[in-house]
Order: sequence, then structure tokens, then C-alpha cells
Amino acid sequence: MQEPELLQGTLDLLILKSLALDKMHGMAISRRISQITDGAFKVKAGSLFPALHRMEQAGWLSSEWDESETRRRSKFYKLTRTGRGRLQSESQRWERIALAMASALLST
Amino acid sequence: MLQALFQTLFRKKRVEQELDDELAAYLEQATAENLRQGMAPEAAFQKARCDLGGIEQVKENVRAIRVGVSLDILIQDVRYAIRSLRKNPSFAAITILTLALGIGANTTIFSVVNGVLLKPLPYPNPDRLITLWETHPTWGPFLSVAPANFYDWRAQTTSFEKMAALDPYPDFILTGTGEPRRLAGAAITADFFSLLGVKMALGRNFRPTEDHVVVLTHSTWERYFGARATMVGSEVRLNDASYTVVGVLPPNFSLVSKASDFQARTRFDIWTNLGLTSPPAAWQRGTHPLYVYGRLKLGVPVEQARAELDHIADNLRRLYPDDNKDKGIVAVPLEEHAVANVRTALFTLLAAVAMVLLIGCANIANLLLTRAAGRQKEMALRAALGASLGRLVQQLLTESAVLATLGSGLGLAFTLWSVPTLARHLPADLPRLSDISVDGRVLMFTTFITLATGILFGLVPLVQSRGVKLNARGVSSGQSPLRSVLIVGQVSLALVLLAGAGLMTKSLRALLQVSPGFETAHILTARFSLPPRYANGNKFGTAAHREISVFQRELADRVRNIPGVKSLGFASHPPLAGTNNNWSFFIEGRPPHPPGVYDSTDYRPVTAGYFEAIGIPVKRGRPFEARDDEDHPLVVIVNETMARQFWPTENPVGKRLRFGDQNWRTIIGIVGDVHHEGLGIAPAPEMYVPWGQVPNVEVRPIIVVRSFNDPAGLTNSLRKAVADVDPEVPMDQIATMDQLVSGSVGESRFRSIAISLFALLALFMASIGLYGVMSYMVSQRTREFGIRMAVGASRGAVLRQVVGQGARLALIGVAGGLMITALLGRLIASLLYGVKPLDATTLAGVSILLAAVALFASYIPARRAANADPMDSLHYE
Repeated sequence: MQEPELLQGTLDLLILKSLALDKMHGMAISRRISQITDGAFKVKAGSLFPALHRMEQAGWLSSEWDESETRRRSKFYKLTRTGRGRLQSESQRWERIALAMASALLST
Repeated sequence: MLQALFQTLFRKKRVEQELDDELAAYLEQATAENLRQGMAPEAAFQKARCDLGGIEQVKENVRAIRVGVSLDILIQDVRYAIRSLRKNPSFAAITILTLALGIGANTTIFSVVNGVLLKPLPYPNPDRLITLWETHPTWGPFLSVAPANFYDWRAQTTSFEKMAALDPYPDFILTGTGEPRRLAGAAITADFFSLLGVKMALGRNFRPTEDHVVVLTHSTWERYFGARATMVGSEVRLNDASYTVVGVLPPNFSLVSKASDFQARTRFDIWTNLGLTSPPAAWQRGTHPLYVYGRLKLGVPVEQARAELDHIADNLRRLYPDDNKDKGIVAVPLEEHAVANVRTALFTLLAAVAMVLLIGCANIANLLLTRAAGRQKEMALRAALGASLGRLVQQLLTESAVLATLGSGLGLAFTLWSVPTLARHLPADLPRLSDISVDGRVLMFTTFITLATGILFGLVPLVQSRGVKLNARGVSSGQSPLRSVLIVGQVSLALVLLAGAGLMTKSLRALLQVSPGFETAHILTARFSLPPRYANGNKFGTAAHREISVFQRELADRVRNIPGVKSLGFASHPPLAGTNNNWSFFIEGRPPHPPGVYDSTDYRPVTAGYFEAIGIPVKRGRPFEARDDEDHPLVVIVNETMARQFWPTENPVGKRLRFGDQNWRTIIGIVGDVHHEGLGIAPAPEMYVPWGQVPNVEVRPIIVVRSFNDPAGLTNSLRKAVADVDPEVPMDQIATMDQLVSGSVGESRFRSIAISLFALLALFMASIGLYGVMSYMVSQRTREFGIRMAVGASRGAVLRQVVGQGARLALIGVAGGLMITALLGRLIASLLYGVKPLDATTLAGVSILLAAVALFASYIPARRAANADPMDSLHYE
């Protein structure tokens, strides 16, 4: 399936959202995004890792090395305080946009 | 952000490794996932590979993002810093100017220190270059060397690859190129330049036995021979004889030496062959004209060479007790020797200018503290919005880095102007002036102090924000211990600088108050170089002087008729120039000395009229008169020190003594002492001899002309008079006596002016700092003062309280400064003349000055506090 074009900022928000509950490694984030979007978005490594590193440097995410469920040493990402704030403000922004878009499309 | 950038740029390897690990883990996990979904192992791995989409490409993207984000954040922070600085232009301007001044001044002084003390000497393997001196327990540690001794040293040493000697005396009159010119010559042994490692720009070195050959200094070649390409091999007329030019030195050649080397000559125009290829005559062990250089063999330490030289000196003492009794040999690396006298002075200046920068930094830190206090609400807001503490710290540091960079940029621009300007005005006796420039090392120094100052004042507000808790309104109390520490530190340093300036200035004044021993006003001096025909070819005996006496008489007749001239005389050396002759003598009727022991004295040939013209008082007996010439009884005049030293209980007038030529000479008078070696140096025993009766020939008379008014105006008439007598006699070193006196204290004056400038700057900055802190304190506590006045405190009480607080800080600072001065004082003792490093008047004076300025600086804000309207204060907020 063709990966749908992600709107600017969508990927960041999806990553923030998927990390809202717990720390995760890259593969798990990718799987999680797929789950929470009902398979609509499949994030490939080529987009995922640059995004993770960028967000880490921006101070939204922090990382640590730990053992994964398959006992493989992996790099785990989690939200920082800044990242949590970001998730909140970005979510609100998306809700507004989504509502606005919905009402725009529903009007005749 | 800085950390991420640092990681990206400098810890690449680790970052890469981590990225590899991360992607490998991903690949394994993706494969495992595919396996769980029921794919065959091979297919599961292939699909995971395919999903990853090329490991290298992913890594490349991640790398690009990492650098990009770091730079983005950096640019963002810099923008933010510039924006916030532009919102507060006066803060930015004050800070940048303070830094520019501080960094510019530091870089300038460092350029001098770098050129004079730190740069390696301009020769290959300079660490192996050594200067060699004779030494004697009473005559001094660094004596120039007898040719016969040099010959033996060179023959016997095994530690030195080469040993060469320089005789700085030969002078040449160049004719045939227009106006006759005096060229300062040096006679050198043939391997002198190869020892230094200097390659000729044109032609070659001497061969050891060549005679009548010369090497030209590059500037001589340009100035007198139009930089002719065919110079090598051509003949030049020097001292009425023909010499062949064999080589021209490169333009950047300079002979590194200290001011007192070479009888105070600073440059040589022309070089001839000293020879010394066969053992010199015996009398060449009793005359000491040579400056000796050695190049150590590779790997031979100077200690080993010294041990060997001690052994050689031992032999020479035994073999030649007459001349070498008690004589030793000292070896000093050229690098050390050249700067021995200026090291302390230059490091003192560097320390002084560094203190100015520190005071400036403290001011900026105080400004930043005030700013930080004002921005605490802004910061709190940003923190609440999710900015991490680290991020805020980065922003603050970026701001100080931007300030430091702008300041140092401006400072460096200042340096590019100030270094060449300063180099032109440095005292000429500073060694290695030509090596002073802004080079890579200077730029590194500037970068270093920029970073150091940026971090220094950038971190202070952070220290503050950690140490002090905010009160409810987000405003600090105004009584910050950190500010007080900064102020006390500033005042202390300012006091140290003021004390240094006070001491140096007092020392200079003491030096200038020393009477040189003659009347300095209204005197013009100039030097003549008489061609060899005046010497009559006779190196010894009084008859040699007839021609010279005729020249002097004819010139004197003409000069005496120049309007404005009061009197005149001739002498062999100008006063205060650090040049002299020394002669041993024997007093009639005294028991003979054992071999190798002599009485010796400086002596100066002068003509009748000299004492009157220069204003040296005759204390006893009579001055020289015209009749004291070649044909009349031999006479001498001694100075008071010599009279005191050699005839402590008798009147020397009428006594007789003789020099090496064995003729008895009668003492006819005693004259006052003159500080010939420099104002700060006590006069030595000295003897004056009439020019016509000097036992060896003197062909470089200086004239001393006393005028009724401005002596400089006489120069042209004097020049014309000389040309009338003999157009082939060059005249140079034209100066008024005031210029000579002033030049002789040049280094001391430069030091005093530089330190005083720094001290004034320090005083200004420290008082601004105190004013700023007290103003801030008053503005923070206006309400409190208002309330206190509302409940009955008088204005005077408030005024006293604020001034008292400022005064307390200032006094602690003064006390601290006095303590530092007491500790550092003895380090500069060697730079002072006639004043002790802990001179009570100076220290008290600068303490009072500093305290007064500090009081004034806190009085202005105090008055503002006292004038606050209590009602306003109560309405405040």
C-alpha cells in the first residue's frame, strides 16, 4: 500500500502520542503508530529515525539504552517535560484543524 | 544544543556506533515481527531489509538532521540573543565597548610580550645559540672579551659547533656616493653569520683570511647603493680605502641583542672581517672589545658547555695571571640574555592589563545580573511553557558568547591599529622591536581570552540563579552577596593598579629629579666622524691628535660666531648614552699592585671650554684651557667620586698618575660627578683628559653647544659650519640635551604611562561598577526607604545608610587591594628607583583617592534614595 502523504507535523505528533504512556524503541514506535491509526500509517525507518533524532535534539524526547522484549539491547525513547507540553499543545492544534476541516467539508 | 553540536562534531565515532546499533536492533526486531506473522525466515529478513530502505541512506538522513538541528538551534539562539540585545542597546553598547577596550588592550600588550619574549629568535635552532662573556668578581659578570682569550676558547672547546666574535667599534666613512656618510660597522669572524644560520640575500660570506671585504646590511644596500643587482664584486670607498663587497644580508635580518650590548649601538650598516685566524699578540689579552657567540653542538646541554668553559678558564687563569687573574667565563643562552632586563617590566604590564579586563568582566557580570533579575519573570514564563533549564542556560550563554565575540571583534580591529602604532612609540632600547606583530599566536590568545571572558561573565548570573531563591514577586532583594563580592574584587584590583601606577610614576619622578650633574637646558649635541687621515696613522702618542685639534679649533671658531651660541666644547662621548672608555692607571708614590690587579677608571677626552659649555661645575683647581695641548705638560681632571675613592684624606690636585703609556700626568682640578651611565645609576670614578693629550686616537668627537635660546634652531648653521671646515666629515646623532635626558628614561617613562593609563581605566570601571550596584540596590529598595521615611526616618539617615553600604564595600576592597599589593610589591621592586614597593605615602594616597571616588559613586544613588517621596513609595504597587 502506498504510504499516504503525511501532513507537516503529523509524524511528530504521532510519535509524541505513541510515546505518551511508556518509553519505546524505534520498531515498537513504528508498530504502535500502525496500531493507533488502524494501519492507515506505516512509518518506515527512513522517515522514523531522522524524526526521532531531530526530536531528541530539540529536547522533546530523551533516549536510553535498555533490553527489549526480545532481550535485544535497543535504544528507547521517551517524552521529556518539554515533549509532554508539546504533545498537549500540538494535540489541541490538531483538534482545532480537524474540526475546522470537518466543518468545511461538511458545509455545502 | 551546544552539547549536541559538540557531540556531532567531535564525538562522531560514538554517535555513529550508537546509530549502527540502533538500526541493527531495528532490523532484528522487524525480522522477528515478520516471523511471528508466519513468514519464512529468509523472506522475513528480506522484507525487514526492504522496509528499512537502505541502511546507509537512513544513516545519512539521520546525520544530516543531527547537524541541521544543532545549527538551527544555534542560529535560533544567536538570533534571540541579538534580538534581546537590540531591545537593550545601551546595555549592549556598554558591554561591547568594555570588552573591546579590555580585549584590545590585552591583545596589544600580549603582542609586545609575544614578539619580545615568546617568539623564538629569528634564527634556525635558536635554543643552541649562546652568548659568552668574561666575568670578574669586582668588575662584573658580563664583560666583553679579549681577542686572545676568545681565540683560546674557540681552539679548546669541544661543546660548541662554532664560536664567533663581533667587534662593534669600527666606523667607516663612505665616500663616492654623494654626501659623505658615517656607517656603523662591526668586524666579525668569518663564521659569524653561518653560526647564526643567516643566509646572504646576495653573494656570500667572508672567507676566514680575506681582507678588505665587506658585507652590507640590506638597508645600507638600498639606501646608499640603490639596491644595485650588480653590487656583489664591486668596489666601495671606505675610510679612503677600497673594499670589495662580497655579500648583502637578507632584508629581515636583525641582530638580537639587549640595549647595553655593543656600547649601546642598536644597528650595524656594514660588516668587515675581524680575521683572528692566527694567535693574536700578547697585548690582545688586555683589551676587551669582543662580543662572543657560540652554537652548541646538537644534543650538548648548556651545563656541559659551562663545565668545559670553567675548565678552559682555569687554564687561562694559570697561564696568563697578569690579564686573567680571577677571570671566569659565563655562558648565557641568547634568548635569555637579550630580554633579561625587560622580562619583569613586560610581564608586569601584561598582568596590569589583565586586571583591567577582569574589572571590566566584573562590570559586565553585574550588568547581566541586573538584566537577569529583570528577566526572571520572562524566564519563569518560558520554563512554565516547557523550556528546560538546560535550554535557558544555553540561551544565556549564547547571549554572552555573542557579546564576547562582538567585543573581541572590535577589540581586534583596535589591535590592528594599536600594535603598529605602539611599536613605533616603544622605547628604542627594547630588544626585538621588529618581531612585534599580530600573528597566529596573538590571535589564539585573543580567542582564548574572548572565550574565557564570555564564560566568566556569562556564568555569573547562573551562579546567582542557583544560589538565590526568588521571592514571591520574582524580584531579588537587592542585597546580593555575589554583587558585593564582584564589587570588592573590582575595587581590590583597581587599588593594586593604582598603587602600581603611583609607584612607577613616583619612581620616574625620582629619576627625573636626579640632577645629571650638568645643566641640560639650551644644549645641542652632534657627532662627527673624522676620516682616518685625521688620525695621522699613529695609533698611540699625542702627536696623532694635531689634525683633530686643528679641525676642532677651526670648527669652534666658526660655531662661536653663529648668533645665539653662548659657548661650546668637544668630548668623546655624550653623557647618558651608556658609552664610555675604561683605562687602568697607577698613582705616583703608591706601592705597586700584585700582578693582575689594577686601579681603573672611566676616562673621557674633552677640550677646553667643555665643562663651561655643558655646565659641569669645577669644584677645585682649574678647568682645561687652550694651552693644555700636545706641546704642554700632561694634565688630567678627576671627578668627585674618583677623588673620594682614591684620595679619601688628601687633596688630589697636584698629585700625579700615569696610564699604560708611562707618562706622568698632573691632576689640576676636581669637577662634579655626572650620571654618565643613566640617571638611575650612581656615578663611577671618572677622569677627564685634554683631547690633545689622549694616549690613543679618538676620531669621533661630539660637540656640545650651549645657546641662549632654542638650541634645535642651530642645527642648520652647525651643519654649514662643518661643511665649511671639511665637506667630507659626516655629522649625525644630532639631539638637544633635553632629548638625550628624556630618551635615557624612555623605558621607565613608557612603563609609567602605560600602567597609569590602565589604572585610570580601572578606577573608572570600578567606580562605574560601584555606582551601578548601588543604583540597583536603591531602585530595588525604594519602597523600603519610603516606608522608613514615612515612619520617621530622616533623609540624612537614609543617605547615611546607602553611602555607608557603598563605603563598606569600597573599604573591604581597598583593604583587599592593599593586601594583594603587599604580596605582589616585591615582584616589581627591580623596576623602581628611589621608592620602595610598599611606599606608605603612595599607598595611602591611592587608597584615599579610590575611597573618595567610591564614596562619590555611591553618594549619587544615595541622594536619589533620600529624595524618594514616601507617598510615592507607599503607592508603589
